Amino acid sequence: MYTQWAVEIKNVTKRYNEIVAVNNLSLNIGSGEIFGLLGPNGSGKSTTLKMLLGLVTPDKGSVTVLGLDPLKQPVEVKRLVGYVPEAANIYEFLTGIEYLDFIADVYGIPTAEKKQRITEYLKAMQLEGREGDMINSYSDGMKKKISLISAFLHKPKLLLLDEPLNALDPRSARIVKDFLHELKGQGVTTIMSTHVLEIAEAICDRIGIMYQGQLLALGNMDELRKTAMLPGSGLEDVFLKLTGTEDLRAVVEELMK
Amino acid sequence: MNWKNVLYLLRIERKSGRLIRGIKATRYKENVFIAYWPYWAALAIGVIGGYVASVAALTVYSSGSVPTGLKPLNVEALGFFSVLPTLVLGISIVFTLFQQVQVAGKPSSQVEFWLPVTWQEHTLASILANLLGWPAAVVVGLSSGVIVFSAFNGLILQALLTALIMFAAAFLASSITEILRVLQVRFTGAVYKSSGRAAIWVRFVSYILIIAIFYIIYFYVTSGFSSFITGLTAAQSAAWYIPLIWPALVISYVGKGLYLQALLFTALSALLIAGLYYLAVELNTRLGLYEPPAITVQKSGIYEPKTGFLGKLGFSTVEAALIRKDLRAFTRRRELLSIYIFPIILIIVALFGSFSGTSSSTSSSTGVAVSAGIIFLLPASVMGMLLGEILIGEEGQAIWRIYASPISPENLVKSKYFIAILFSIIILALSASIGVVFFHPSVREAIVATVEAFLMVLALSSVSLQVGFKGADFSQTRRARMIRQEWSLVGLIMCAVTGAAVFAPVIIPYGLSLLSGRSSSTLDYAVGVAISAVVSIAISAIVYRINIGSAEELLRKAET
Repeated sequence: MYTQWAVEIKNVTKRYNEIVAVNNLSLNIGSGEIFGLLGPNGSGKSTTLKMLLGLVTPDKGSVTVLGLDPLKQPVEVKRLVGYVPEAANIYEFLTGIEYLDFIADVYGIPTAEKKQRITEYLKAMQLEGREGDMINSYSDGMKKKISLISAFLHKPKLLLLDEPLNALDPRSARIVKDFLHELKGQGVTTIMSTHVLEIAEAICDRIGIMYQGQLLALGNMDELRKTAMLPGSGLEDVFLKLTGTEDLRAVVEELMK
Repeated sequence: MNWKNVLYLLRIERKSGRLIRGIKATRYKENVFIAYWPYWAALAIGVIGGYVASVAALTVYSSGSVPTGLKPLNVEALGFFSVLPTLVLGISIVFTLFQQVQVAGKPSSQVEFWLPVTWQEHTLASILANLLGWPAAVVVGLSSGVIVFSAFNGLILQALLTALIMFAAAFLASSITEILRVLQVRFTGAVYKSSGRAAIWVRFVSYILIIAIFYIIYFYVTSGFSSFITGLTAAQSAAWYIPLIWPALVISYVGKGLYLQALLFTALSALLIAGLYYLAVELNTRLGLYEPPAITVQKSGIYEPKTGFLGKLGFSTVEAALIRKDLRAFTRRRELLSIYIFPIILIIVALFGSFSGTSSSTSSSTGVAVSAGIIFLLPASVMGMLLGEILIGEEGQAIWRIYASPISPENLVKSKYFIAILFSIIILALSASIGVVFFHPSVREAIVATVEAFLMVLALSSVSLQVGFKGADFSQTRRARMIRQEWSLVGLIMCAVTGAAVFAPVIIPYGLSLLSGRSSSTLDYAVGVAISAVVSIAISAIVYRINIGSAEELLRKAET
């Protein structure tokens, strides 16, 4: 289906002391693909994303991103990637515009282009009028918007988005979803981790379900349904079945006692 | 009042201040002995100090030749006891205010705002949490000292009363800090709202002024302790109308056997403490949930990217961006503003030292020379050292932005080193100007001192940046840590050694010439400065290379 891989992960394992965060993971993601990484908390999604950026060194296996090794050529890889972490820890003493200015400079965006892009993004994300305020006065949603803009600003070839739509209002979430589709048309690859299954189902070309550091299932919605042997079901049922947590009635009954 | 709620809140608040930082511990277990070390240390110092004081007093008073002017032991002891509450009050206000300044930049968890906790409980827990840091350790130390001393001198009841009143004084101080904290938030909000963009500078200047004033008071109290105590003993009886003196007056009147007055001031002190507590509760109820408005730095619609002066200085776009970011951090982040205090304090202390030693003796002229030397050399050097140590750790939790961006190790080191040198040079310009104005050195002396200070800045900034890489602490639990304590100590030692190595080629010949009675020639100074420059540049260059290696390691091992 894909002629070129944007990301190749081969037999990667990552341990934190006795905890195995990622266990022998192998996965290829095509250029221009929107790939969803699903899994319960602590299943290894964020660690996987960080390994793609060279922020976490695998204990075993290899990772190739856009033909580059993130461990050997970290700066080159980072230049091509836009990253949004789960927690928006950004420089709160800067104003929104100063932060984006900083990001644009770090990625080497020319001055005229920088001005145009920042202005457009601020308008699209409805941050106009607040861009001159210090970020410490922003709501979580506004901080997320600034984080997203900072990932899009330098027109990356690969987007690594960890829970990108958390805290966003419906309008902004819709803009981001549509924007990701547009970027796909331009050959930009997106890998996003999310707990919002409806979003994954709606926008992802393929979905990988991780559980305890391993890839349990991989494919588009039809393939996942087949794997779970749940024809006609939604992603929620497929996900719960594959991660072995489908029978939650007993848990709820216990809570009701 | 649900006392259990107060206790629970207090535990959380205190524990957050004690947690081990810089270690990603998945299983954290607290060792009670280590966690409460300031109290044990204070207790040990107090017991030993009290015993030594008791032995000394007994020796003096049993020798038969009691110095003239010395009153009977119990009168002298009670006079000393009576100033302790006021002393504790002063120290506690300074300490608790410092604590507030340190955590001011960090938003509170606000969990207590939505839990079923009353404002009375919240306020009491907050007051006690402030108190249970260094102020409590001071009370423990002084109380144990006073009690041990009194056990040998038949003043045990008065000692117990003094201990109790010292705790009350510390509580009083903490209540005042709580009131000031709430008012400060509201006042700051009003200032932000009316000052707009100038709010940044209003905040910058006011913070530095406030902290500088408190440091001066603190130095004044601690440097002239004995004269301060004597002065305070005489002053506080006359100043009975100042409410903050009331707790101390209770001891004073008990010592004089005036029990009715003691009872009156006990009642007044209790009323004062209760009044301040209820005022704090009332203020918290009205203003506790107040969030200061945002500081608007730019008006909307006027964004114009600047090409920047830094580019002309040879910095790449990435380096210039990092430098601009840090320049803003050091004028806006409240927890970073305290960095300016140490150089300013050094200048003030040197000036005070020279003023107090201007009587025309040889030793005082040497003292003035030392003060002049301090003013030229130390503020900028200390600035370079402190900045170097914290410049990596100050990134805090936002360090991921550095990890995830296309920033090379060279970019990182160059920009951080530049910031340390830039701020140190600004301080050097300030301190050298003050030195020239107040100490009138010759042109040759002024040039040598300024060049030496610059050479120290170059070397110390590089060395301390290395310490900053090794000991960086990105955790922001309760307050930004920036550097691990043990590495801060290592940095101090390394910088002392480096400073000595850089300065030795100038100071050793100067010292020898003083001893031999001949004056140093310009050539002597020139040779000394030249060797000093070689040493400084060599150290800076070697450590700079090491710093690039450390930066590479930091960026590669982002996960830890």
